[in-house]
Amino acid sequence: MSMKPPTEFTLRRAIAAIAAIGIGVATYITIADSSGGAPACLAGGGGCQTVASSSYSHIVGVNVAVFGILGYVLLLGTAFVQGDAGRFSGFIFALFGFSFSVYLTYLELFRIHAICQWCVGSAVVMTTLFALNATRLVAYGGTEDDAPGSGRAPIPTQPEDA
Amino acid sequence: MSNKREQERERLRAHRLEREQAETQANARRRRLVQLGSGAVFLAVVVVAVLIVVSGNQNSGGSGEVVDVGLVDKMVGGIPQSGTTLGNPKAKVTVYEYGDLQCPVCKAYSEQVLPQIIEGQIREGKAKIEFRNFTIIGPQSKPAGAAALAAGKQGRGWNYIDIFYRNQGAEASGYATEAFLTTIAKAAGIKNLAQWNTDRKSKALTDKVSATTAEAENLGFTGTPSFAVTGPKSHGLNTLGTPGSAEAIEAAIKKAS
Repeated sequence: MSMKPPTEFTLRRAIAAIAAIGIGVATYITIADSSGGAPACLAGGGGCQTVASSSYSHIVGVNVAVFGILGYVLLLGTAFVQGDAGRFSGFIFALFGFSFSVYLTYLELFRIHAICQWCVGSAVVMTTLFALNATRLVAYGGTEDDAPGSGRAPIPTQPEDA
Repeated sequence: MSNKREQERERLRAHRLEREQAETQANARRRRLVQLGSGAVFLAVVVVAVLIVVSGNQNSGGSGEVVDVGLVDKMVGGIPQSGTTLGNPKAKVTVYEYGDLQCPVCKAYSEQVLPQIIEGQIREGKAKIEFRNFTIIGPQSKPAGAAALAAGKQGRGWNYIDIFYRNQGAEASGYATEAFLTTIAKAAGIKNLAQWNTDRKSKALTDKVSATTAEAENLGFTGTPSFAVTGPKSHGLNTLGTPGSAEAIEAAIKKAS
């Protein structure tokens, strides 16, 4: 049983929309951090404060959310690049972002012992982007550039005796 | 007529072959891309595994890498704090811990014995626990103790004490520097660091550290941590010394209730 993947155009639109959400989340975390505080946890609790104040929240003095913004911007860009260049670069950026999210979630659970909803949110966004970009690469890699609304062009099957 | 039909058939055939060839090439390109992608996934798995192993091996003791902040937050969160007292202020039974923040046995108690009491009788409001400094390890113990008292003034005393214990360096190795005390203060969630800095150096708090140390000696305690319990049925202060288990402290709380 095989499921028909969405058209590449649909995938690209979804990637662009979700990357934009990612930029929003990462920007919020960055602004909250740079104003000296921490992102507000929606359900209360000090998870966000704890995670933001931990030494893992910065890499060489730069908040990890800044790297998040950069990653999401790159992913947004790949959604507008047609063909294998867009497919493969999107997959690689998403793979990098997803791996980084896995590592950060590990740190939250086993090193910082606190969970920040905004970080979880970003991890979910990045995981979705990875799934979408993997689908785009596997289903459409190698094919010609897509046009809006088109799927993969089928091989003509006209009978030889028309 | 037949010739025309033949030509049309030939044209369709050529078209089909061309498309099939294009499709074969596309499949080959896709296979290659997927292979490259799989290689990248493998590499990513290796890198993440290495990062996790490396971060798991990082030494926390006094290295500036604060651990267990969330764990402590969770343990004491929601329990009232006043000064270095944790628990319902109206609780009739009070447990006193005479400890030294640099003492490794106190660290072991903080990690293995006290959580059971805090999550049980303290959280339930049956007793409260007060930390008192009994500074015996080294010269850095006194400023560390005053730093905990100053944290207590901002309602973060137990966060400070427990996070300090869980991030101790080697005993009296000189790790408890001003920078270390400040790192713990930040991790403990102290909002007003300037006030904390003033408080911890104040005569009132440093004198208090000396006073509780003298008090512990007068009670006959010789090591840290030492515990004492007072309650309606304890007939004054019941000194426990260094009980070996959480159960012993729980029993003393029950007896004093």
